[in-house]
Amino acid sequence: MTTAAVPTVDSTDKSVRRGRSSRSSTGVGRPGFAWAAPAAAFFGLFALVPLVLVVVLSFTRWNGLGSPEFVGLDNWSRLLDDPVMVKSLWLSLFLTVLGVVVQTPISILLGVWAAGRQRNRAVLSAVYFVPLLLSITAVSVLWRAVLDPNFGVPSEATWLFGDGNLFGTQAGAIGVLVFVSTWQFTPLHTLIYQGAARAVPQVLYQAAQIDGAGTVRQFFHITLPQLRNSIVTSMVLMVVGGLTTFDTVLILTQGGPGNDTTNSAYYMYQKAFKSFDFGAASAIALLLVLVATLVSLAMVRLTGYDKMRSTMEGV
Amino acid sequence: MALSLAACGGSGDSAGGGSDEIHVLVYGDATNKVEKQLVDTFNKTSKVKAVLDTIPGADYQSKLQTIISGKQAPDVFFNWGGGSIKPYVDAGLLMPLDDFIAKDPGLKSRFLPSVFDTAVVDGKPYGIPMRGTQPVLLFSNKKVLADAGVTAPRSWDELLTTVKALKAKGVTPIALGGGDKWPTQMWFQYIYDRVAGPEHFQKAVDGDKSVWASADSKKALGMLKELIDAGGFGTNYDSVKFTDGGSPALLATGKAAFELMGSWEYSTLQDAYPDFVKNDLGYGTFPTVEGGKGAPDNLAGNTNNYYSVLKTTKHPEAVAAFLKLMYSDQFVKGQLGIGNLPTTTNTQQFLDGSASPAYSTYQYDLVKKAPHFQLSWDQAFPPAATTTIYQAVQQFFNGQTGPDAFIAAMQNLPAA
Repeated sequence: MTTAAVPTVDSTDKSVRRGRSSRSSTGVGRPGFAWAAPAAAFFGLFALVPLVLVVVLSFTRWNGLGSPEFVGLDNWSRLLDDPVMVKSLWLSLFLTVLGVVVQTPISILLGVWAAGRQRNRAVLSAVYFVPLLLSITAVSVLWRAVLDPNFGVPSEATWLFGDGNLFGTQAGAIGVLVFVSTWQFTPLHTLIYQGAARAVPQVLYQAAQIDGAGTVRQFFHITLPQLRNSIVTSMVLMVVGGLTTFDTVLILTQGGPGNDTTNSAYYMYQKAFKSFDFGAASAIALLLVLVATLVSLAMVRLTGYDKMRSTMEGV
Repeated sequence: MALSLAACGGSGDSAGGGSDEIHVLVYGDATNKVEKQLVDTFNKTSKVKAVLDTIPGADYQSKLQTIISGKQAPDVFFNWGGGSIKPYVDAGLLMPLDDFIAKDPGLKSRFLPSVFDTAVVDGKPYGIPMRGTQPVLLFSNKKVLADAGVTAPRSWDELLTTVKALKAKGVTPIALGGGDKWPTQMWFQYIYDRVAGPEHFQKAVDGDKSVWASADSKKALGMLKELIDAGGFGTNYDSVKFTDGGSPALLATGKAAFELMGSWEYSTLQDAYPDFVKNDLGYGTFPTVEGGKGAPDNLAGNTNNYYSVLKTTKHPEAVAAFLKLMYSDQFVKGQLGIGNLPTTTNTQQFLDGSASPAYSTYQYDLVKKAPHFQLSWDQAFPPAATTTIYQAVQQFFNGQTGPDAFIAAMQNLPAA
């Protein structure tokens, strides 16, 4: 929950800053801080206050019974010495990168295709959209059954899956996690790209056709550059979702085999609600907040998201 | 009415009003039917009314921990004894039941001793057995064994030769739901009990970390390793689960010959494969180990479930009267009727009325004559240790870590 607040922290900062600068321009009836007050109050109550409480908890030992006992930096020093914690952070990042790398090309291609005017396009697009409408929990349970080594698909396709020990090896388990998230979330990003591809002015394609550019060249030289802002948007969503991946891990692998798919979000849950070590869990949560903040700041800087240059210059 | 009460799960308003109620919190599942009947029986005669609250399935322990020290705390709650209540005893939340037992000796004497002792913490009794006992047994597919020309093994050495014969026939010798992790743990708790004896594990729970590095501990790990390396469990057990029906299906469809599982395996199979249960299901005890320190009759598993009482209860007399029902004839008959096996001294006379009399009698005799009933490791240690235990057993089984890493992991467990 606290981890989900990361991008919001960033964006609210932004809106507050923007609010201040517009106030200085003394425009009447233009957005001022008061306009943001309801949202800011809501955000403060449900994001900042819990965040502060988590900071406090991270300096205590508490198993949910009685009152928390202050232990100073104990949780933090234990955490930094904890090989599982370090491993879980790398896993979170790795799962995120893998998710972006796999999902982005698929959803761009599907999205651009769905923006066209082919026969059956609407029907197929609707079919592709279905996974997004299903509950991730139900989807995970379903895939777990489909991938059962003795009675599922792997037992019929041994040439591909070998002994079907998908959940028993790190590579297999990570593969399943990435595959299931891709299957479920690609439709969302496809939708983003479909909308963006529809918005590309037709004159660009007409001009390119006159210049003799084929479909492939049009895609790389017109469509892709025009989708730049959408790519950034979609990637930010993927990164946020990737770093906080939890439900698929909980249902598909429970962090196993061993701790090979224990990402930070799942490790936090394990510490808090399996081991009842709320102090350590709070410290993990904060560490995740920190990492996610750094990653999203870096992304915003590197991609020019904060400037959002127009793709329509010269059109 | 029953539904609405059950649905509000632990929302007792002990702050205001409701002062003539006791709240009974139980794990939500099919057994609630019997518990509801008992509550009704109790309410017929008692001025203080009992209210049954349920928390569904797997979330029980987490939710209990979050409400037990607050205003929503129940008066009486379901648990697994041992490590599952130790943190609450340490936090001073539970009432020792000595006074209840002094007034009504039946609260102790009417239960089998090996079972009653599991809920004794620091020398004081904190739990009254409820529901049934669930020893872990070695289940087998008789047809698969016959086809391979072998019988269920009595000793560990026989098990190893049986494994070879079954492998030659192309079946997985032992089905294991390694994805759930606790079925893997069952192998450890039995082999340690057989090789090193129950005192060994008890020392470990009491905080003596050196026992994990003992010669017996290493011997037990070596024996397990031999079985794993011999292909006893096949190769893909970590992708199989018991909880989604994967491993029982392996046994019932003849793809595997054995499964080490809690006594509930019987009803699980009865639901899904009634013909298999009728014709080919075999069951027996864990193989003996020659020269081992543990008695061959020792059992391991879930000794029983227990009711423990919060110190804060305003109606101790009513609670004592309610607990008295846990050895009543009505309770025993009700539990037997749905396939549970209560551990009261009067259980024997009602065994014929059980859902499966032969199976119930077999188990009851085992539990009665067992010198020691080892509580599952994940319940003997406090909940904080569970994750570490599960990881250690899984990594040892899949070869990721060796005996030394397993020993180190177990030595790092928080003491009970």
